[in-house]
Amino acid sequence: MTPVFMAKMAWRNIWRQKRRTLITSVAIALAMLLCLFMRSMQEGSYSNNLDNATRFYSGYLQLQHPDFAEHSSIDKLLPADAAFAARIARIEGVSQMVPRIESMALGAFNDKSKGVVVMGVAPQPENAYSGLAERVKLGRYFNADDEQAVLVGGHLATYFGLKPGDQLTLYGQGYHGNTAAGIFTVAGVVNFPIKQLDGRIVYLPLQTAQDFFVCGEQVTAWVLHGDDVFHIDALEKSARETMGPKVRVRNWADISPELSQQIDMDRVSGQFLVFVLYGIVGFGLFATIVMMTLERQREFAVMLATGMPRRKLQGLLLLESLLIAVTGMALGLLVTLPVLGWFYYHPIPLSGDLAMMMVEMGWEPVIPFSLEPKLFGVHMLAILGILALCSFYPLIRIGRMRVMQSLRGGL
Amino acid sequence: MSIVVDQLTRIYNPDTDFPITAVNNVSLEVKPGEFVAVMGPSGSGKTTLLNMLGGIDRPSSGTVRIDDSDITALGDKELISFRRDNIGFIFQDFSLLPVLTAKENVEFVMQLQGRSHVECATRSLQLLNDVGLGDRLNCVPGKLSGGQQQRVAVARALAPKPKFVLADEPTANLDAVTTRDLLDIMQQLNEKEGVTFIFSTHDPRVIERARRVIVFEDGIIKEDRVQ
Repeated sequence: MTPVFMAKMAWRNIWRQKRRTLITSVAIALAMLLCLFMRSMQEGSYSNNLDNATRFYSGYLQLQHPDFAEHSSIDKLLPADAAFAARIARIEGVSQMVPRIESMALGAFNDKSKGVVVMGVAPQPENAYSGLAERVKLGRYFNADDEQAVLVGGHLATYFGLKPGDQLTLYGQGYHGNTAAGIFTVAGVVNFPIKQLDGRIVYLPLQTAQDFFVCGEQVTAWVLHGDDVFHIDALEKSARETMGPKVRVRNWADISPELSQQIDMDRVSGQFLVFVLYGIVGFGLFATIVMMTLERQREFAVMLATGMPRRKLQGLLLLESLLIAVTGMALGLLVTLPVLGWFYYHPIPLSGDLAMMMVEMGWEPVIPFSLEPKLFGVHMLAILGILALCSFYPLIRIGRMRVMQSLRGGL
Repeated sequence: MSIVVDQLTRIYNPDTDFPITAVNNVSLEVKPGEFVAVMGPSGSGKTTLLNMLGGIDRPSSGTVRIDDSDITALGDKELISFRRDNIGFIFQDFSLLPVLTAKENVEFVMQLQGRSHVECATRSLQLLNDVGLGDRLNCVPGKLSGGQQQRVAVARALAPKPKFVLADEPTANLDAVTTRDLLDIMQQLNEKEGVTFIFSTHDPRVIERARRVIVFEDGIIKEDRVQ
């Protein structure tokens, strides 16, 4: 039997019960709309939050010395020269790259002292990447790479009672046992979006930090950003291949596991709702396929009697089920795409405390949506998976069907 | 092609307290080109006999040999292929596929045989012309009368060029005029295509047209006569 003949039969068969096929298809379409709306909103928010959050701290990826993660030692550094930067630029998918030095030191002002995180950043590239200058709430941003100035986190400034123009003493361990000590003028106070770090962060211009730690033209990490959150895996793979074994590539989830776990937890709750919805739709689809089988027992028996192989008959039923699912998916896409497209370009604006909080963090107070093709692909695969499960019983039934009994009208 | 039935027995519910012997130790031979009616009252076992001849039911004992093949020894897959290539079926309720047109219904088995598109189209057209439905090619069964549907069923049964056609009470749902027309058609095709026809019936209009009549009663052959 030609595939065209088979497809023609299958297509006509599903429209023998127009209402049933339409109801099943619409149920699939509605489930798709609801699931995709929710997941698109979730993934859009994750993507947006992740993009915002990673710019301040982890980046999508960090390149580090292979032993830095275990020891967090200022002795485990990577080059920060032009040749190394050129190697990084060869990584496929990198949109931005900034060097940073991160280490611990003791900060002191007047009679107070506290352990602080010293972050050496290249002023211009860092500002272009994380918009650090826009977070200066008091004073000013760095003017030069070698300026003997610091920016301090808001909570830390409050703790010390620091204001622009004050002098902060930093004391710590430098490269290879050197003493790292210096007095720096507070150029400004910044709002750091991560609270824990806001009470501990001290920014230095990169060259000043290198001088402070006596480490020459080296950094603890190169922070990399890509075009899209959804392509981090590919970026990571490319980074590993390009940089080789002497450079450790760490992704944002490895560096900020709390953020990753938070997203995973939220994602699981969304996926649970998706399972519930598809479960309900699955039963509807199952009922349709079972009815399609049971009400045509005699017809199937005639087909078997006249010489249609069981395998072909099973193929026909599978094709009919597939056509219903595809019709549902096509309807679903037809409805979902314009809706998600609208919200993608017109994100839902937030109001109230949540909006205030986001504005304070420097983020746009909106709920963005994602149009990532993978999302659609996953949901279509899920429907096809449900279809495969639903088809299992009817296919077995055809496999075991007794021609004579079915011809007599028995099941 | 001949059909040789040897000591054929079919017992329903054999392992219960009420076994039913539908066909009891029947032996017969049907020669190529015969036009045979198997007659008898309801429950006499004629349909069971036809089902076993067509390989859609298996005997409790005995054999059915079609030419050199013992179809009772064939497996499910082989039996389906055998039916497709050798046997045409005409059912009492026509049993056409409702979503296919008359032409497509006739082409259906040929499609299963893997015949070319041109061959399917040519033969279906010729057969539908032979049964007088050349102008109803693209009608679905729902748009045809009972008699027209049964004529399509006859064309469908003959389409794969079977060695014989089994017809289970083909005129049971038809009026007198339609029955006469259908019998004329089947008789002409029997002569033209040389195909063996075996009917189960208790319709005297069919019986008087048959050249051989096998009278069945309580699962055994009471009479086997040539007219």
